[in-house]
Amino acid sequence: MKYTSKLLTLGFVLLTVTCLAQKTFKLKPTKWISTKVPEPSDIFYNSKSDSFYIASDDGYLFETNAAGDILHKITVKSSDYEAVYADDNFVYAIDETHRAIHFYDPKTLICSRIVTVNYQGGRNSGYEAFSFNKSKNSFILITEKNPITLFELDIDFNVKNQFDLSKIARDISSATFHNDFLYLLSDEDRSVLKLNPTTYEVIEKWVLPVINPEGLTFDKDGNLVVSCDDLQRIYYFNNPENK
Amino acid sequence: MKSFLLAAVGLLAICKTQAQLTITNGKHVLEISGSFSSYYNDRQLKSGEEDRSKNRFKLRDAELDLEGRVGTDYEYNVKVDFADMAANNQGATIDPENPGLMEANIKYKGFHFLDIEMGYGKLYYSRSSMSTFYSSPYWQRAELVRGSIFSRRDIGVTLMKNFWNQRANIYVGAYTGLGELSLAGENDASGQLEYIGRFDISYPSRYRYREIDDRITPIPMFSVGVNGRFTNKKLPAGEIFPDNATSEYGIKVIDGKRYVYGLDASFQYMGFSGQFEIHQIKSEPQNENDPLFQNLTPQQTKGYLLSGGYIAQANYFIKNIKTIVTARYEELDLNDLVKGKSERFSTAIAYQMSGYNAMIKFQYFNIMKEESIDVLKWEEQFRIGMQFQFK
Repeated sequence: MKYTSKLLTLGFVLLTVTCLAQKTFKLKPTKWISTKVPEPSDIFYNSKSDSFYIASDDGYLFETNAAGDILHKITVKSSDYEAVYADDNFVYAIDETHRAIHFYDPKTLICSRIVTVNYQGGRNSGYEAFSFNKSKNSFILITEKNPITLFELDIDFNVKNQFDLSKIARDISSATFHNDFLYLLSDEDRSVLKLNPTTYEVIEKWVLPVINPEGLTFDKDGNLVVSCDDLQRIYYFNNPENK
Repeated sequence: MKSFLLAAVGLLAICKTQAQLTITNGKHVLEISGSFSSYYNDRQLKSGEEDRSKNRFKLRDAELDLEGRVGTDYEYNVKVDFADMAANNQGATIDPENPGLMEANIKYKGFHFLDIEMGYGKLYYSRSSMSTFYSSPYWQRAELVRGSIFSRRDIGVTLMKNFWNQRANIYVGAYTGLGELSLAGENDASGQLEYIGRFDISYPSRYRYREIDDRITPIPMFSVGVNGRFTNKKLPAGEIFPDNATSEYGIKVIDGKRYVYGLDASFQYMGFSGQFEIHQIKSEPQNENDPLFQNLTPQQTKGYLLSGGYIAQANYFIKNIKTIVTARYEELDLNDLVKGKSERFSTAIAYQMSGYNAMIKFQYFNIMKEESIDVLKWEEQFRIGMQFQFK
């Protein structure tokens, strides 16, 4: 036992010094709702219908109202939807397993097109986030981790540029564009990051006190809305910009 | 000790790298991953002991892992450790914690109400055993769960079902019962199987089989599990078990009935995590003169012996400096017919160069107390090395 006391002392000192430094600023949820959507992976607010699109594991795409009630449900066997985004033309669901973008008609939710964007990274470390960067007039597709790569796609969904964002978080699970800034969500760091959409530099960062956050969007009132996979919950936060 | 410090300095000079590969044709997805780990071990011998053969560098793992999905119904996994195979080819005894072939199984998910896994792989018994080595700061699992007391892998079939949003899991299965030695192809002369069942439940959400709270969980999470296993391997007269089947303590497989019960619990919150696990083995050798009875009479033994022990472990993940600190206490009683129990203490520090993909791990071992039927040549041991994964 001649080394035990020294090792324990060293461990205790390390623990004490770092415990205080580990405290970070947290957002507090104003409310949360349970949803019947299983394993919600990503969420997108559709302002035209005042509804949410929610992507789910095992190839489900849902449309829900603000109370979390399911309005529509689409099932695609063999897919793993990890990201969702919509514009005037389509609802886009991202299949992480097969590296594919599925295009759905927003009215009928019928899939009319599938585009594959090849990526040879880990099966469960593929595309987790998809949005449109107005500053660069590009779609952006982001891999989860190992490494975190942001791909800029042109309107024909060809990769025209890529950026390594591995240093900003341990993983990225969702992306959304709001008020001229890009917001990313990290599940493992439980953090929301605000980025300059041109340089992709992190401007601000907030910690979320929730388990397994996988999707983020902003609703009509500017509230930050976060979907949590494991607990099947949708959390609402005041807009973090409104300090 | 000088060699130990040199190994530590060498590790700090290593840069981080990583790579990964996935191939898909739209229906079939194949992921290729692998890992390497190597360490330097320094063993402090008792006075009078001279065998320093354990003071050495060791290649622990050189693994290649192929995981695939075909459509929605089939998943397969083949995982090979070339370091163990090379050691086994040199005549080394199979280490049950590192048997060479790690996984070779297929899972059918087409029934939807339950999944079926067939082939060779890790058994669904003991949370600590089920946790992956690469997410642990330790170089070695606790003695109770590292494969010498009960097997960690076997060939067989498992039925599994999860419910309540994966918060609860149930597993039942039948296996050869010879553990890692089942790869030799034959059962023992009894021809009997081993049956294993496990149920675990977590709250407030599903709880992965991991030891460390690397996500700094903001809400306390708990998980408890119960598991049991039974086999009745009564050998016909004159028959013996295959070499090494009973393992170093002679209780992994016995000539008779064997019941194993276990309970495990785990929690995590804000970077802190802890695990507790307890197992009891009731062995009923069929022969009164079985060596496990320690030459005692049937009146003294009542026809059975008990073995088992418990593990208590506490961990803290210091996110700011990417470091895990942990300590583990273990008590083990190999045979209740022999007085005394062993006690072991271990602590570890792991620094994440690139998450779990590249991690420097240091572990300290201390034998606090020995059993008279398991006398060791050493009291303390240090192990430092690095693990690297590509996936």
